[in-house]
Amino acid sequence: MIEFKNVTKVYTTGTEAVHDASFSIDKGEFAFLVGSSGSGKSTLIKLILKEEEANSGNIIINGKDITYLKPKRVPYLRRSMGVVFQDFRLLPDKTVYENVAFAMYIVKSTPKHIRRQVPYVLSQVGLSEKSKMYPNELSGGEQQRVALARALVNNPSMIIADEPTGNLDPDTAWDIMNLLDEINRRGTTVVMATHAKDIVNTMKKRVIQINKGIIVRDDKKGGYSSEV
Amino acid sequence: MIKKVGIAVRYNGFTYLISEGFSNVFKNKKGTMISLITMICAMFMFGAAFAIGQNVNYVMEQVQASQGIEVFILNEATDEQTNTLESEIKKIDGVSTVTYKSKEQALESAKESFKEYPDAIAGYTEEYIFPASFIVMLTDLSKAEGVESTIATLENVKNIRSSNDTMNTLFKISNGIRIAIIVVFAGLLVIAMTIISNTIKLTVHARRKEISIMKYVGATNSFIRGPFLVEGIIIGFVAACITIALITIAYDYVVTGIESSDILQTMNITLLHYSEILRMVSVVYVVLGVGIGMFGSAFSMKKYLEV
Repeated sequence: MIEFKNVTKVYTTGTEAVHDASFSIDKGEFAFLVGSSGSGKSTLIKLILKEEEANSGNIIINGKDITYLKPKRVPYLRRSMGVVFQDFRLLPDKTVYENVAFAMYIVKSTPKHIRRQVPYVLSQVGLSEKSKMYPNELSGGEQQRVALARALVNNPSMIIADEPTGNLDPDTAWDIMNLLDEINRRGTTVVMATHAKDIVNTMKKRVIQINKGIIVRDDKKGGYSSEV
Repeated sequence: MIKKVGIAVRYNGFTYLISEGFSNVFKNKKGTMISLITMICAMFMFGAAFAIGQNVNYVMEQVQASQGIEVFILNEATDEQTNTLESEIKKIDGVSTVTYKSKEQALESAKESFKEYPDAIAGYTEEYIFPASFIVMLTDLSKAEGVESTIATLENVKNIRSSNDTMNTLFKISNGIRIAIIVVFAGLLVIAMTIISNTIKLTVHARRKEISIMKYVGATNSFIRGPFLVEGIIIGFVAACITIALITIAYDYVVTGIESSDILQTMNITLLHYSEILRMVSVVYVVLGVGIGMFGSAFSMKKYLEV
């Protein structure tokens, strides 16, 4: 599903964010990317999203080598993955419903399909009642659930989450984690970069730890750090 | 069934484009106003320069057409010889009319021009010092030189007074004005483009978050750019329409003022009617307005699409 082969990324500033990283995440897996800030995990996410180009090595997503993907094809790559960010990134002047429907407009779904799919996904994340509200009328947890609904609405094969609980209090964070876990159980691959120790320790999922750009640990059912 | 879906998708995309474009225009009221005013100013100045230029050309043509060649006849020439000369001149290609001006008439017109100083020609009353002449009008100014040289070879011609110098001066002036208009036009185009592209850059910058979200969800560049282009086109088109209205009013007002002045009336010169200017300028305006709006937004977006 996601495969990194000896990937190195050096920014134009000279910082080597990722050094010779190799790992592979299979279909249906749930994997945490952990590491302190500046360790390179955000870069890994950006490489998966093709927001940044690798300097060497190969990145294979859904069986396709995207290392040298043409910029024109990037949007189509991104349509195969749902993305969730720490800061939600919702459109402020669109309602909950419109925010989710927007992702479907973009992939040119039919109006009929949109009318059917959006309420379905909103019910999955428990926001059916709030579909007409605007993002600023919602709590952080609710906003993140909208973002999750938007990520899910086009039935992507994987969800890429960059610190999705970073701006949430622990209880709300767990709501989001339970949703992600459920999504994963239905067969969607989940890759989540995070700082949250207790979440990683409790979930007992695969953990890929990166430190100073080097992958230092890859545990099938690990905790946040191996020295526990 | 499949075909139907295809149409529905395209229709959906199109309505999205138009409705987003329109809502952008109203969402970004300040930017829209700045763009509109800049474009109107630039296009108005261009229109004014253009109208002045066209009128200068038009007036030139009238002045040039009123310029004839005066062929003076030798005093010794008999009436018969004078008649022969007249018919010979009439035969020359490019001559439209030939009018005889007798010595008496020449004296009269001299008196007329020296009206203020009657003493100056007081002594010449009887002596017919002013020769008779033919006033030769041309069909086409470009034939002036040929006509002149042919007349010079004819008999009984004392000398020829052409208005070459006047014409050259007029040509120089009209050429100068034409160049000035092109320079003004180019300058205004650059200014308008810069300001509009900056305004749209501000809009795009204000909405960069939105754009980046669209990119993460998998929107193609053309999908993102679409509404901004529509926005530019709408602003350009509206600016063109407003400018056309403004220039019509202004032109009509100014021309009526100038035409009622004494100088033009005594010279029997008219200016172009505003409908004639408008016909030329309207198409240019619409194309220009829409073009500036469209390319202005396309250029200013480039940077923000690289996510």
